Amino acid sequence: MTAIARPPTLDQARAVTRRGLAMSAVALVGIAGACVLALGFTPTEARQGLAQKIFYLHVPAAWSALLAFSLVGVAGALYLWLEDSRLDRFSAASAEVGVAFAAVMLTTGPIWAKPIWGTWWTWDARLTLTLFLFFLFVGYLALRAAIHDRQERARFSAVLGIMGLLLVPFVHLSVYLFRTLHPQPIVLKPSAPSLPWEMLRTLLVSTVMFTLLYVGYVTTRYGIGLAADAREHRDAD
Amino acid sequence: MPTEPPANGGYMVAGYLVTAGILIGYYLSLLRRARKSVKSEKGPP
Amino acid sequence: MPEGLRVALVIAAKDIRAELRSRTALLSAIVFAALVLVIFNFARDPTVLSATDLAPSALWVTFSFAAMVAMNRAFTVEREHGALDGLLLAPVSRGALFAGKVLANLAFVGAVEAIALPLFVLFFNVDLTRALPGIVATAALATIGFVAVGTIFGAMAVRTRFAELMLPVLLLPFMVPPLIGAVQVTSRLLAERPLSEMWGWLRLLALYDIGFVTLAALSFAFVVDE
Repeated sequence: MTAIARPPTLDQARAVTRRGLAMSAVALVGIAGACVLALGFTPTEARQGLAQKIFYLHVPAAWSALLAFSLVGVAGALYLWLEDSRLDRFSAASAEVGVAFAAVMLTTGPIWAKPIWGTWWTWDARLTLTLFLFFLFVGYLALRAAIHDRQERARFSAVLGIMGLLLVPFVHLSVYLFRTLHPQPIVLKPSAPSLPWEMLRTLLVSTVMFTLLYVGYVTTRYGIGLAADAREHRDAD
Repeated sequence: MPTEPPANGGYMVAGYLVTAGILIGYYLSLLRRARKSVKSEKGPP
Repeated sequence: MPEGLRVALVIAAKDIRAELRSRTALLSAIVFAALVLVIFNFARDPTVLSATDLAPSALWVTFSFAAMVAMNRAFTVEREHGALDGLLLAPVSRGALFAGKVLANLAFVGAVEAIALPLFVLFFNVDLTRALPGIVATAALATIGFVAVGTIFGAMAVRTRFAELMLPVLLLPFMVPPLIGAVQVTSRLLAERPLSEMWGWLRLLALYDIGFVTLAALSFAFVVDE
């Protein structure tokens, strides 16, 4: 049975977007701080050089993109069970935000890869999964844009989200099998031993800030969705 | 023998600038859309 | 036989009969497959890339794109005739409905593959005498995966505005793991490599089929019901 919720109001939406924007702004400043940390107060990796510092942006962005994606899938599954439109509104927000972080991954990935591995692209686990996440997000948003009926859109997106979530381990497995047969020539091997504490600290700070940015972005985007729904209800009356 | 780290600072700068561009750009897009969406239009229906 | 299976077979038979009457999906897919094979052949430099090197990829690109064409057409035809709505009114289990649709699509895609394979042997001059059973088995494994996901996505895409474009956009990422597996196994089969070298990929194909057929079957109800 569908839960009947009170229709959202523009005032509610305004409050939510304001909160989201404030949080995002704080997070962006925090990320700027993390950049300062990374550039000025963290030792440079001896074999990779300065380019390695992209790591402090690429990895947290990857984490945020994966978080965004997983939550789209989980919220979708919950929606199919509970039929609460708030879950669907959240999924739409998380998917769009995920595209932004995936875009950061897809650009910083090759920019980092080129000086380290010698090529712009390698079919390693990280870059390949990035590409897939990006395509899945885009497909998800395209599907949403192509359906007008609210409930049908919510149901279909939820199904796509869940299927996308199942795809992730298969992409990993494919890449793993592929790589054990086709090891890539490497110019410089990225350092695998445990990170010195300054690097770990900077990475942690950056990750926390990126997570905060995810929350801020999603809150804002959720608020925008709330406003759209509020308008629809108001115009329908 | 210790070797100098490779001179690839340009890539680092590019990476940081692109990231800033995307994140700030998305923020501004959200800002514009948020303002537009919660504007209450007061006028004749 | 169990009720669900009987229902599925009835649904599959109906779809197959409908397609046999009009034959549009089948013909488009076959023509498409032949064209792709021809283009692959002309697009390679024979002094650099031997036919056997290119063959597995050419075969699987052909199979996967032809499968998409076949599934796309099948759903469009059904939408034009409003057949699905009538079925839904009947108290048919959604799992059986899904199974029926998948069986019908398997029949279409299987037919296209069966016709494309001899063309492939012809154009690429491959010797399939030893590899044939393996290739057929691999094709079956990979096709089940494509078709299960393609069936549920087709059911979704057909209700959207740009249905013909939506299905490939949604489906392509999902086709990559079975595609990689199929190409790797086919290439080893053609090179007559030992089974041990293919085991990992075959497991990937099997796991994919189990996972996605199950998930698609469970989710189908949410796509066709209000």
